[in-house]
Amino acid sequence: MTQSASEIYKGLSDSVVGMDETLTVDIARRAVAEGIDAYQAIERGLVEGMNKAGQLFETEEYFIPELLLCADAMYAGLEVLKPHIRREDAHVRRKVVIGVVEGDTHDIGKNLVKVMLDAAGFEVHDLGRDVPPQVFVDTAIAEGADIIGLSTLMTTTMPNMAEVVRLLEKSGKRAQFKVIVGGGPVSQAFADKIGADGYSANAPGAVKLAKQLLATQAA
Amino acid sequence: MSEPIYTPRERLLRVLRREDVDRPPVICIGGMMNAAIVDVMKKSGHTLPEAHNDPALMAALAEDVWEYTGFENIAVPFCMTVEAELLGSRVDKGTLECEPKIVKEPYPSVNEVEYLDVARLVKEGRIPVVLEAVRRLSKAHPNDPVIVSITGPISTAASIVDPMTFYKELRKNPAEAHRVLDYVTNLLTTFAWKAIDAGATAIAIGDPSATGEILGPAMFGEFAVPHINAFASAVHAHGAPFILHICGDMKRVKHLLPNLCDDAISTDAMVSLPKLKEEFPQLTTMGNVSTYALQWGAPEKIADITARLVRDGVNIISPACGLSTSTSLSNIRALTDTVKNTPVGRTNNELTVS
Repeated sequence: MTQSASEIYKGLSDSVVGMDETLTVDIARRAVAEGIDAYQAIERGLVEGMNKAGQLFETEEYFIPELLLCADAMYAGLEVLKPHIRREDAHVRRKVVIGVVEGDTHDIGKNLVKVMLDAAGFEVHDLGRDVPPQVFVDTAIAEGADIIGLSTLMTTTMPNMAEVVRLLEKSGKRAQFKVIVGGGPVSQAFADKIGADGYSANAPGAVKLAKQLLATQAA
Repeated sequence: MSEPIYTPRERLLRVLRREDVDRPPVICIGGMMNAAIVDVMKKSGHTLPEAHNDPALMAALAEDVWEYTGFENIAVPFCMTVEAELLGSRVDKGTLECEPKIVKEPYPSVNEVEYLDVARLVKEGRIPVVLEAVRRLSKAHPNDPVIVSITGPISTAASIVDPMTFYKELRKNPAEAHRVLDYVTNLLTTFAWKAIDAGATAIAIGDPSATGEILGPAMFGEFAVPHINAFASAVHAHGAPFILHICGDMKRVKHLLPNLCDDAISTDAMVSLPKLKEEFPQLTTMGNVSTYALQWGAPEKIADITARLVRDGVNIISPACGLSTSTSLSNIRALTDTVKNTPVGRTNNELTVS
């Protein structure tokens, strides 16, 4: 690794952690201008920074506003670097279909999970908010998803998470997907009760959970 | 049972004034924590979403909730969208089972908020519906506290400005964020004053968008505390007590609790109220029967949890957070009956939780 490349990686990582969107874009442009490998710049720079931000969130040094600003910086950098990724670096990514269940429009938690999954290399299909149970099932089947992620902040809409699991069972394709749930009122006990495969209390945890579930599946 | 010493209204007011009582009141403050469960609506035929818009129906449903559940207060409204709707948010009124929600915030950023005339605004939308319901209820129930639940400043602001942007702007554009919060708090205050004039016994606020988990201690201190306190002072100046509900795990903002000007603090189920009281003896604690247990647990389990809270000296007993509308009436009765029948501050084997 050249001195310049390692400096760029660190600069990208630091500017993401530092919530500095403008600086991230500047460094990403410099990376392109200096012919630094875009894939490496993303992985060792932007993603590394987002992972650090996720760790700061887990240790409660960063909170939602900070994590959202880090994500903005990461995405701004990605926009610059993505067109420069060499074709051979593109690899098959595991797919996640994610959304906020019907009846609820609070989507910040879901968006943060999406950010962290993106950063971890998952291909994320975001269905948005207020999503009917059948749409999760149909999209997951059509996309050949590995994981279905369900989010809600409201007690009154939690039954729609159970409904997704029920519809999957009815379709006979339950075993093809790992269903993960999260959101303020949701708990591990609730996940167990409705027959979901996992629960996470926060976005970085959701990535660990997703990886862990797919690793178990592969084993 | 012996004759009650205090009316439910007196008992709650005494607790909020930190005076002695015979036992804790058991209440449910309405708004995001309303108890308009499907079981009640099916019995009475007064239903949501219709009752969100009609004062007679709102009052009737509030009365049904009081009568069937055994909570020792009456509470309106049944959602946390009254204020945001008035400020321009598009609201879906939901269904019998599902509470109303914000469909679309009118402003993409704090920079674009229009500052409307608050004195005129409070005469519009569903505020008159709530106020008329309060007038009817307070007249018909002189001995029962009528609680009006108002949406907290941060939650209201995050319901009129796109919340993703709003949270970022707390950091990037704090001056303008404070200006929006001042505006919103002014509306909430005017609403509260009118509610007190209409006969409300106490004002409650839930601010689920302003938890320590979301904001962290620095921003909770900078944004939530001053605006909640401005509201609290205004409510006090108008002669009513103020109950504050804080959602989620508040360990990161616990040290800021003494700075908040509430007459009672209500917390979610994961918070140990006896420990909180030990640390901050000046607090009047309220809570916190798990809403998960209320929905899924057996009545005996609810009775155990509730009895423990009473014995632990929690000042006001209530559900810990928003109730699922599919919660059974028998579980809520287990909660309210237990409070009314549990001896205070006494441990006996019969009541020990297994």
